[in-house]
Order: sequence, then C-alpha cells, then structure tokens
Amino acid sequence: MMHLLRKELRELLNKQMLLSLLVTFLLIAMIGFVMTNTMNETLSESGQVHLLDADDSDASRALVKTLEERGYTVSREVISEEPDYAQLLASLDWSEAAMLPKGYGQALSEGEACEIGSITMLRTTSALSLTMAAGGSAEIVRSAVQAAYKQAYLTGDLAFMQDPVTTSGYTVANGKWVQADAMSVASSLTMFDQVMPLILFLLVILTVQTIITAVATEKTDKTLETLLSSPMPRSTIIIAKMLAALIVAVIYAVTYGVAFVLTLFGTVSDTASQVDIGGTFESILDTRAAAQTLGLQIPAAGWLGVVMQLVLTIGIALTASIILGGLVEDAKGSQTASLPILVCTMFPYLFSMLSDIRSMEGVPRILMLCIPFTHTFIATSCMRFHDMPLFWFGLAYQAVFLGVMIFAAVRLYQSDLLFVHSRKYRKRKIHAD
Amino acid sequence: MTYALDVQKLSKSYGKKQAVREVSFQIAEGEIFGLMGMNGAGKTTILRMLATLLRPDSGDALIAGSSIVHAPDKVRRSICYLPDEAGAYRTMTGRQYLEFIAGLYFHDEDEQEACCRLGEEICGLGDALTQKISTYSRGMTRKLVLARTVMPKPRLAILDEPTSGLDVLNSLDIRGTIRRCAEEFGTAFLLSSHHMQEVQTTAHRGAIMKDGQFLAMGTIGELLETYEAQNLEEAFERAVKGV
Repeated sequence: MMHLLRKELRELLNKQMLLSLLVTFLLIAMIGFVMTNTMNETLSESGQVHLLDADDSDASRALVKTLEERGYTVSREVISEEPDYAQLLASLDWSEAAMLPKGYGQALSEGEACEIGSITMLRTTSALSLTMAAGGSAEIVRSAVQAAYKQAYLTGDLAFMQDPVTTSGYTVANGKWVQADAMSVASSLTMFDQVMPLILFLLVILTVQTIITAVATEKTDKTLETLLSSPMPRSTIIIAKMLAALIVAVIYAVTYGVAFVLTLFGTVSDTASQVDIGGTFESILDTRAAAQTLGLQIPAAGWLGVVMQLVLTIGIALTASIILGGLVEDAKGSQTASLPILVCTMFPYLFSMLSDIRSMEGVPRILMLCIPFTHTFIATSCMRFHDMPLFWFGLAYQAVFLGVMIFAAVRLYQSDLLFVHSRKYRKRKIHAD
Repeated sequence: MTYALDVQKLSKSYGKKQAVREVSFQIAEGEIFGLMGMNGAGKTTILRMLATLLRPDSGDALIAGSSIVHAPDKVRRSICYLPDEAGAYRTMTGRQYLEFIAGLYFHDEDEQEACCRLGEEICGLGDALTQKISTYSRGMTRKLVLARTVMPKPRLAILDEPTSGLDVLNSLDIRGTIRRCAEEFGTAFLLSSHHMQEVQTTAHRGAIMKDGQFLAMGTIGELLETYEAQNLEEAFERAVKGV
C-alpha cells in the first residue's frame, strides 16, 4: 500500500504542480494585498468628513460640532452658493465631499426639507474603488442632519420626519463637474469597461493554450521538423501560425462580444419594459449626457487606439506562445509553459477590476506597468480620464515588446534551441540516436 | 564526380558531450548510404545537421552544391527529411496531407498536382487516401510519410530509421520504394538504421559509427570483407567491439 502511495504521490507532486501552486499562492496573496490596501485607504479616510459649507450659519457650525462629538475629523470649507466643484476639490485635494446648501439653517428652523450635495471625484471606473470611495462624507453629514431635525421637531409631522433630508449627487471628472450621481455615471461606462477586460482575458487564455499545445504537438509528432526542413521560409511558418491563432481568437472574441452585448442589451430592455420605459431610458440618457459633459465618453479615434492596444496584446501573447511552445518538451509541458502568460494576464485583469492601477505608486506601479498586457486593461480608463501620456507610453511599450518578441521567435526558429534547449532533452537525445 | 552530398569534417557537441567528431563522407546521385550505429552513436545528430535543423560546431556539408552552414535556405530546396517515428497531421486525409506537403515545395499548381499523383502512387494507399490519417495504422502512416518525402524528387532524401516499428511486409515495401526512387529519380538517400539487414539489402554503401566517429565506411561488400563477416550484423559487432 505505502509502496504504491509513494509512487502515486511522486507522480502527482511534480515540479509543474508545485509551480502552479506557488503561482496561485502568489496571485491570491497579491490580490489580498491590494484589497487590504484599498480597504485601509478607505478606512483611514472613514473618520474624515469633508464639508463644503454654503450656509455658514450657526446651524452649520453646530452640525460640525455634532460631527466632531461623534468622533469625526471635519474639514470645513465655506463656499459660495454654486462654486466650480472641480476646481474646488482639486485645490483642497479632496476626492469627495458633502455640501451643505445655503439656507440650511433657515430650513432647519422652519421645519422645511433640505437637500445635501454629495460630490464625488471620479478617477476610475474600477467597481471596488468606486463603491468604497463614493459619497462617504455625504452619508455621515446626512445622518447628522437627520439627527438635528429629529432633535428640533420631536413632536412634528411624523411622515416628514422620516425623511427630512435628501441627497443630490455631483460628479467631478477631467476638471469638469455635472449634477449627476457618480455611481450612475460610472455604471453607464463600466458596462463596457468591465466586459472588454473579460473578453481580453478569455481571448488570451484560449489562444495561448491553443498555440502552445499546437506547437508542442507538432514537436512531439515531429511534423515541426518536417516543416522546418522544408523550403518554406521559417518566418512564413511563424506568421502563418500566428495568423491562424489570431483568426481563431477573433472568432472567439466576436462570439463572446456579441453574446455579452446581447445579454446586457436584453437586460436593460427587459428592466425598462418591466419598470418604467420612459423613466429608465431618460435616466440612461441623462447619465450618458453627464458622462459626455465630463469628457468621459471615448471618441471613435480613441476606440481605434484601444483596439490597437488589444491587437498588440494578442500579438504579444501569440508570439510568446510560439516561443514557449517551441521550448516545451511535449504537449504535457504546455500547461506549465503557458503559466507566465496566464499570470501576466490574470494579474492586471484582477487588479484592474479591484483597484485603480493608474493611481498605484512606487514599486507595485512599476511592476504592474512592466507587464505589457496591463496597458490594454487600463486603456479605456486612460482614455476616459484623459491620461494620454500613460496611454501612448503603453501603446509604444507594447509595440516595442511585440517587435522584440517577434525577433526572438524568428531567431529561436532559426537556431538549434528548439531541439537542444534543455539539459534533459540533450541528455535524452545524446543517448537515444 | 558530382555528389549529391559532400560532408567535410562535420562536428557537433551538446555541452561537454561531443556527439559527432569530424565526420566526412560523400553520397553520389542515386546512391543509397546507410548509417549504422548503436544508440547515442551520433546518427540522428548527423541527419539533423544535414536537414538544417542543427548547426554544426565545425565542418560543413554541401548538398547539391549548397552549404548547410552558409546557405541553409538553398539546401532546404534540395532535401527532404523524414524524422524517426514522424507523424502526420491527423485531422487531414492522406490526400490532403500530400497536397499540403506538395504546396511547401512547389508554387505552380500543375507541379503540385503532379507531385501529389506521384505521392499517391508511391504510397499505394489507394482509397484509404480519402480517409483521415487518424484512422491509419502505423504501417500506413509510415508509407504516407515516406511517399511525401520522396514525391518532390529531392536531390537528397534523409531518412531516420525509415522502418522502425514496422512489420516485415511493410518494411519490405518501404525498402523497395527507396530503391525504386533512387533508381528512377536519381535521388540520393542517406538513411540511419539499427537493422543491419535493412542496410545490407537496401544500401549501396554504409558506415559504422561509434561515439560520433566512423569506425568503417565502404560498400557493403567492402565492409563484409574488412571484418571477414558473413553479414553486416557480424561486421557491425566486430567493428563496435573491436574483435
């Protein structure tokens, strides 16, 4: 029994399995690290309240005192009734704020409803960052205002007292601002921004696996030797392989893309028809118009740039697969060989979902931007938030990276390395011919 | 004399292990040359260097006048290489495979068609050519890949263990095909084999290898005479063991 168990374990616990395990461990650890950082940043700001005070009355000062008594650190800025929120938030270095309207004190004393402003600076369309960043101060202020109303009108109209305070959203982006809820504006954009990375992720995984296995199988069946000893130029052989994989990848991409669009479009239409057709579409149109005003919509030329990044990423993945496929011993080794590409795809994909890669700092930022695929995952974000230097850097970096990879692939297929690259292989061949 | 292959002091090492040491030999047009040696003697390394898959460390070989070191692209127009236990694309039919290979060697459609017809005739698979290669037996696949190797009528056909793993009848068929192609097309053949009987009945000349070097080279008759042997197996044993 133990004899067999040892043999089975020896076969299962191989280098490939341990490597996969290590990569998975690192991946999970890194995701945990990023999530913890995002949470910590939010928590460190959770005790902070940014208040724009347009009322500057005794009531507003009393509200500040109440907030401080509740343990919050309040940063208060007295403002004119309708300032340029974009300029104001930038000058104060705030990412969000609550706005107490002019007449707050009077409304409170007369028992009238009041509307608090929730101002959010949109820097990313990353779902997690957005959820954690938007509207923190406004919620705290709203709760304190509501408490002030309750205290002043304990015996007042109960129906009114249930909701004396309403919130109105303001979104700031690209140096502009509009009166629209930041989450609604962002969600009108993220519909595409979250589908595209998913398609890219699936695309890379599928093409990489396909091409590495195809090359490795050609090697095992020795059809590769037949091809490489034929009069067909080796560069033609490589290009044909890449083009074939690219065509298959595009078929996958179009199929997935159409399926996602149909699903999303169907969901929106169904919701609209069931709830309130006019209202829902008006709301969608409003948020789109808001995004347009903020300069968050990507123009046609911008989409061309995004597609170029996408094509470069696929090109790099394909060329890397051809190199790795040529270096593996057999089809069994193709899974391990694809790991570097999968990791380089998985990291930026997950990080772009969970965090804002563009606002990362220090070594993590450098490491992330060194991965060529990262630039495609953040391409739409760069376009939306007018981070064009990073976008152009990414495009150039990927183009250079692809050039180097193609050069390396051609050199590899013109060299001995395909057949004598590893010591193991050398040993085997030395004793086998 | 015009040689299809002229090898001059060809050497190749893998790390510290010298696989081939200054090997020289020539093959005339239409001649069949057999390389015999034990496992690890360096036969496949020589064939791969001549197929331009490996670069020699030193020395050179001229195939139809072109150097494998300086003009490998030209060399590839004059050779066809059949690796040991080579497979074919299993999703293709036999006919599609022959068409694909013909397309690698010829641009002109008529030439491709003529090449394919020759391949079909050489392999003798008949109606089976319309079936997927995945349904073929080992013998059928080997006949197909041998046919694709000789159908472009290369100046030099390089065959690594052409009958390895085949039964007697299939082996005899393949040996017959090699002899016929050498005679009819003037193709020179360089084949490696563990089977001395195969070399004795197929090749005009041969060489016995050990540790990357030729121990003996000559016509089959000369090898038998040198080692005072009844057959090549005896000659091989005496050469390798130094008896």
